[in-house]
Amino acid sequence: MAAKQNGNKGKHMALKRRTAILAALAAAATVLILLWKPTVINNGLQQAGLYAAIAIPMGLVLGIVHIVNLAHGEFMMVAAYATYFACKALGMDPLFAVLPAAAVTALLGWVVFRLTIQRALKAPELNQLILTFGIAIALTQVVNILFTSQTYKIPLEYVSASIDIGENTFPVWSYVFVATAILYAVGLRLFLTRTTAGKAAVAVGQNPRGAAIVGIDVNRSYGLVFALALALVGAMGALFLTKSAIFPQVGSPYTMKSFCLVAMAGIGNIPGILGASVLLGLSEQLLRAFRETRAWADIVFFVLIIAVILGRSVSWRRKK
Amino acid sequence: MNRNIARAVAAVVAAVAVALPAFAGAYPLQVARNVMMYMALAITWDMLLRSGQISFGIAGLFGLGAYAAILGVVRGGMPVWLSIPFAAVVAAAAAFLLGFLILRLRAMYFSIVTLALAEMFRIVIHNLHDFTGGPEGIVMPAGVIFGGNAAALYWLTLAGLAVALAASWWFEKSRIRFALTAIGNNEISASSSGVNIFRWLLVAFTVTSGIQGLLGGIYVQSYGFATPDGVFSADFTLLPLAMALLGGMHGTVGPVLGAVLLGLVSEWLKLKIPYGHLIVYGIIIIIVILFMPAGILGLARKMSRGAEGGKS
Repeated sequence: MAAKQNGNKGKHMALKRRTAILAALAAAATVLILLWKPTVINNGLQQAGLYAAIAIPMGLVLGIVHIVNLAHGEFMMVAAYATYFACKALGMDPLFAVLPAAAVTALLGWVVFRLTIQRALKAPELNQLILTFGIAIALTQVVNILFTSQTYKIPLEYVSASIDIGENTFPVWSYVFVATAILYAVGLRLFLTRTTAGKAAVAVGQNPRGAAIVGIDVNRSYGLVFALALALVGAMGALFLTKSAIFPQVGSPYTMKSFCLVAMAGIGNIPGILGASVLLGLSEQLLRAFRETRAWADIVFFVLIIAVILGRSVSWRRKK
Repeated sequence: MNRNIARAVAAVVAAVAVALPAFAGAYPLQVARNVMMYMALAITWDMLLRSGQISFGIAGLFGLGAYAAILGVVRGGMPVWLSIPFAAVVAAAAAFLLGFLILRLRAMYFSIVTLALAEMFRIVIHNLHDFTGGPEGIVMPAGVIFGGNAAALYWLTLAGLAVALAASWWFEKSRIRFALTAIGNNEISASSSGVNIFRWLLVAFTVTSGIQGLLGGIYVQSYGFATPDGVFSADFTLLPLAMALLGGMHGTVGPVLGAVLLGLVSEWLKLKIPYGHLIVYGIIIIIVILFMPAGILGLARKMSRGAEGGKS
């Protein structure tokens, strides 16, 4: 028995050493790429910011409500459409719509949560998965019926802002996503550790029955966290519109990518999402940088998700 | 008594299904082919579900089979008739090998990995321009199988459906059923009763994937071309899933019932709302999960039991 424990300890140490070696290799690779293809780092970081800012709210929902929301990216798509038509009607800039978009999406999320997801909280996990999958289809198709599959875009001048360093031109607008992601991570940390509602939410996430016994309204906490997460996604919808054209399916890749990043970071580990996003963003941009590998950039993410899930399943079994 | 009635009904339905081309025109036959294709996929999805494993990767194996069939003919010089069983073998082999990796996963992790694998298949086929024709797809030089004869194409799809039905029936009647049900109910008690969980999951995954590949082969030969976005379309995952959910899971009858209902409704809606007729699937999934998790069949059983209970 003792020998076995020692063996486990040894394995654990080996695992730690391996992680350190991997981190060192990653740092070395980053420096090499920086010297060799500086645009990859620039684009990769911006892409990582976009991924992280969308994935963090999903991590929040998964960590506290314990629901994989397969309609996550679709809510962002709905927010982007709402922003587009509001901006067209009022002639305003999408940046002014960030807060209203957050409010509207939070309200929509709260209603959807109350009407559907809350009823399925006690159902088997797979029913919840299929339910949010159904919500995703319904949202996409409602937008498809209302606005067809035509793409919409608001042309903005400041989006093409760039800085010249040496002979390279670096577009910088998308650093707004990086800032948002960091803001989300820090803000959520403060919310969850400093405010009463946040502490209650953490308690509910850890043990809903225990939280109910000490007098926390569990369903209210769930609804609040879900609405908060959707507010963050809604704000991202407005920001997303500054940069990209939108169409009904624009959100669905982000659902999968967000889930992948949350799974990579480990559930409940919001700063980890930032690291995972950098890994995904950089590797995608690295493949995009060469003509021969450009078409394979999309596959990186699927390879990562499968590797992460399989790797985690192995380590889970070891723990057992 | 009851069983005899059920058998008689099944025999009549089968006879009508086989004889349909004698009295139906080209359009009803086309609709029937669509419904049967999705019905067969819904049955195979349900067969694996009986063990508690939910696959989101039907489109992946379907598309893999489709490309195996068309590439077997175009690149491998295979006779057209052989390409359809070849599609089944390729999909089954792929599932068998992947099964060693992914059948250790449970619940949502299995679902997400199957979805990711389906996307990977699509991207690989999309990117191997020289071999697969890339995003524009690939065309059968000889055209559609049977020269496009509507009745023959109908019987071909019917044969695919018959394979799925036979496999599902075999799963229900043989001891696989006990193994899968035991795994689905409680894995720990199943394995302590001596059920080799991994082996039975591998059998179920390989067989259902093989049939999905077979259906892909039939599909591609009945249209004479394949594009990555066409044969890996999310519809091939989504529609069968919604059909089995609506009809009632864990059996052969539920998916069949669901496929007939949803297939006909969607065919009608396609004419009414060309953009976004899929919304019906989203709404049906939501309603079924929330209000009738056992599907129409479960609801009917509950009602008939309630009626009997009321009498006594």
